[in-house]
Amino acid sequence: MDSVKDEPPAPPYRPAHPTTDAAAASPLAPELAGLLTHEDVDRAQDRWRVTRARWKERRSKTFGGLSVLWLLVGPGVLVFLGENDAPSMLSYSATGARFGIGFFIPFVVLTFLMGLIVQEMTVRLGSVTHRGHAELIFDRFGRFWGFFSMGDLVLGNFLTLVTEFIGIRAGLGFFGVRPVIAVGIGVAVVFAAITTGRYWTWERITLGLAVFNGLFVPAAILSHPNWSSVGHALLTWTPLPKGNGYEILVLVLADIGATVTPWMLFFQQSAVVDKGMQPRDILAGRFDTLLGALLASVFAIAAILATAPLFHHGIDASQFQAAQFAQAIEPWIGHTGAALFALGIFEAGIVAAIAISTSSAYAFGEVLQTGHSLNRPLREAWPFYLILLGSACAAGGLVLIPGAPLEFVVLTVNVIAVLAMPPALAFLLLLVNDRDVMGEHVNGFWENAAGITVAVLLLCAGLGFGLATVFPKLLGP
Amino acid sequence: MKPNDAGLDGGPRRFESPVEDAAKPDLKDPRVVLSLLEADQVVAAKQRTRFGRRKLSAGVRLLLWGLRIYVVVMLVLVLISVLRAIHPVH
Repeated sequence: MDSVKDEPPAPPYRPAHPTTDAAAASPLAPELAGLLTHEDVDRAQDRWRVTRARWKERRSKTFGGLSVLWLLVGPGVLVFLGENDAPSMLSYSATGARFGIGFFIPFVVLTFLMGLIVQEMTVRLGSVTHRGHAELIFDRFGRFWGFFSMGDLVLGNFLTLVTEFIGIRAGLGFFGVRPVIAVGIGVAVVFAAITTGRYWTWERITLGLAVFNGLFVPAAILSHPNWSSVGHALLTWTPLPKGNGYEILVLVLADIGATVTPWMLFFQQSAVVDKGMQPRDILAGRFDTLLGALLASVFAIAAILATAPLFHHGIDASQFQAAQFAQAIEPWIGHTGAALFALGIFEAGIVAAIAISTSSAYAFGEVLQTGHSLNRPLREAWPFYLILLGSACAAGGLVLIPGAPLEFVVLTVNVIAVLAMPPALAFLLLLVNDRDVMGEHVNGFWENAAGITVAVLLLCAGLGFGLATVFPKLLGP
Repeated sequence: MKPNDAGLDGGPRRFESPVEDAAKPDLKDPRVVLSLLEADQVVAAKQRTRFGRRKLSAGVRLLLWGLRIYVVVMLVLVLISVLRAIHPVH
């Protein structure tokens, strides 16, 4: 039932086992020495930096650990700030505008905790196996389940990428930039990031851009929020949202989808592999993921606070799109605040466009078994870069087509992400509990309990949405 | 200082590394590259090895099928709800 006839023939491959032995100590070393690629050499250089930093750490106990962390931070921060993308910031803005400061502030923190639990598993999977998520699913579950998983990823990624370009267009539109130029800038930035031919440089450029997700913080401060209300909401989860139950449920789903999505699993695991992380780096990888979740939750709350004046002044924000929020809050946070907000939406779109197109390219490369590393030059891994740039161009192009169903995409993207998550989590949990793959790094009891709880919560949220759609009056008027 | 039993990476010493005392490694030397990477981290090694298919129990297959049906049904419901939102019934 779960196999297809065109499965690869009985493998000429040797069985893989989790190992921490250096390649030089492997019996295959003489053979491998003649087969090293550009990718291997670049990765070895990255490992050398980490090794050297660890030596220094032992000599100088004061700041040595910081340089190791600086070298190993990246995938976790990128995945969370990448997921604070244009539709996510739009969801948070809509939440602030329609419900103000209350239940959704601690709820957003909870969703990032869920994201942290899930993403930590990808750090371990990538560090131990040195293989991407798509590759492992195809390898362990076969093509049948692999293609289903890829189908969810491709659909979700493309729709999300379209919304990133809607955000890029809307963010720059606030400053009077024409849509075609805004989309062109977006594609140019994605292209510029990949021309480096080096994972390390790509990661640092993208991290540099991602820092500007923090633009929502000054925008929030300019809205002069009542900090005691924020503290009260964080501690008591009140006031609870009031109004149309179905709309509240969709916002709940959108806010979950703004934090926990399938592309994040594929991206972070592949980025961990491309960065060359090893099992001894898992602790640093956890710190990286925690840092990303913390930063992203602060910036998400900032977006809610920035648009909360709309709620307090009774402005109907139900039909607002990204740039309209910036225009609408201008009377309360000033032109500077509104401009920061619009720039934040633009930045959110750019960073996510880079991360999501890279996630698609990694997954395709792993499945097609072609080169799939940002350490490979363009000429060596052109299919990888073609998918990366092609998906960005296609999404950007769609945004420019008059009459394209963009409203449909914006309405559905985060909800689809939540609905596609339970199967993705099932594959993730099965993989991290697979001792043949993970060795001693398999999930423990508490990791499984947390992971299964997240999966059940997502499943219940999705089922609630389904019931409310079939029985619209279930949640009241 | 590095303990005597520590290898390049801080883990136990497993072999004599050519970059043991180098200020800057010569990455043109394959031995140096191989000493910095794990055995299954080299591209050629990964291409030659597979974890292989795991045997799926009936429970796991049921779970995967159940979740697959869940996704398909939910996508249909999303479509319905979006059509309702775009073309509201008056």
